[in-house]
Amino acid sequence: MPLGTLERSAPPFFKQGPSALSRLAVYSALALFLMVADARFKLTGPVRQAVGTVLYPVQWLMLQPVEFASHGAGYFQSLKAAQDDLDTARKKMTEMGQRANQAEQLALENGRLRQLLALRDRLETPAQAAEVIYDTADPYTRRVVVDRGQMGGVVLGAPVMDEAGVLGQVTRVFPLVSEVTLLVDRDQAIPVLNVRTGARGVAYGDPVAGHDGGMELRFMPANADVREDDLLTTSGVDGLYPSGLPVARVVRVERRADSAFARVYCKPLAQVQGARHVVVLQPLPENASLPRPEPAHPVPVKRGGRKG
Amino acid sequence: MIMPRGEPLLLPVNPVFIVASLAAGLAINLLPLGRVVWMPDVLMVLLVFWGVHQPLRIGMGVAFLLGLCMDVSQSALLGQHALAYTVLSFGAIAIHRRLLWFSVPSQALQVLPLFALAHATELLLRMVSGGIFPGLWSFLAPLIEALLWPLASWVLLAPQRRPPDSDQNRPL
Repeated sequence: MPLGTLERSAPPFFKQGPSALSRLAVYSALALFLMVADARFKLTGPVRQAVGTVLYPVQWLMLQPVEFASHGAGYFQSLKAAQDDLDTARKKMTEMGQRANQAEQLALENGRLRQLLALRDRLETPAQAAEVIYDTADPYTRRVVVDRGQMGGVVLGAPVMDEAGVLGQVTRVFPLVSEVTLLVDRDQAIPVLNVRTGARGVAYGDPVAGHDGGMELRFMPANADVREDDLLTTSGVDGLYPSGLPVARVVRVERRADSAFARVYCKPLAQVQGARHVVVLQPLPENASLPRPEPAHPVPVKRGGRKG
Repeated sequence: MIMPRGEPLLLPVNPVFIVASLAAGLAINLLPLGRVVWMPDVLMVLLVFWGVHQPLRIGMGVAFLLGLCMDVSQSALLGQHALAYTVLSFGAIAIHRRLLWFSVPSQALQVLPLFALAHATELLLRMVSGGIFPGLWSFLAPLIEALLWPLASWVLLAPQRRPPDSDQNRPL
């Protein structure tokens, strides 16, 4: 019976269950097992799916007041700010319209030239628009949740970009939402191409650089030709990201005497903090069978069949 | 009956109220406010509160399951919150006989190390598994949770403080 209450039922005399310490041991062991299964062996997908589906109504319900508050804040902003926004958007659209017209012409020309040179056609990547609903609350990673999931045709590993460049990659897909790991996350890597020099490299997330995170181009030799303000785009060698999407811009290059590598700091072009409207691309293997190199040792052809 | 001097006798607790309060705490924790590292974990306060007041009803099993829900909703490492909540619940059960003899402010001071321990467990696990250090503001979270303790004791014990028989002067 708890202290100082009028509870009438007495606690059981014999059936006390296991002791607190043994229960602690069992549950801790179970939690540790789950952690290892989650981080190392990726076995916990079904558990996540099940719990996530059960929790989805509650999450949706709790999303409503937050959305309402943010929309309300937008409602009360001044008319002038809204008109300014509209003006910039119009200007941008005019600019983009001009470029789009040019791009059509260039694409036509490019297609003809490619036919002339007998090159493979460029890959067309299907895309769908999505909206970022919220940042995940986990402070140890950098992820956002978008409002398209399995039902919307999002697949695992799909690249995600906003209007300026690549934002990240889909790392978990739930039935109605999916999680995007941002480029600035520590575990996120993306193969890039320096547009000015054509040198390929791999950029890794660097969440502690700056106040909202940056990226680092690793494994570049100390004498590599990298300058500030170089544009990095996806190189397409991974067979997942389509080539030529803008990724980041180099902000600082540190060459040190004691290291064989240069430290190259970059800043993602996409709006990592506060991106709202994004585009989820189809990863490449879905829409094209990439030419694979021939195996090094072809299977020897059986002899003897041609005699006679 | 052995109880602190000057305290009123409380009514028996309604199990539905416990479940409802835990569900409300989970819902508050699921508010998608983004990455706010000093955000207090309401569920932790509730688990310690019910672990201290009703150790036979709310124990480590409930804490573990609620932790799993938090892990999935925050897309954290699966089992991280579960372990932290289990440790927290164990601590609450360990101090439940002693804690209620103190006044509410000194109770808050005594549950502060528990919250700090739970947050430290999480931090250690994520640092070992290669996470990003969330910043010094995250040390504010256990402090805010301890400050929520008087509020929790007032709100959550209110149904038990009602008079056994309502009359005209005490309608509730």
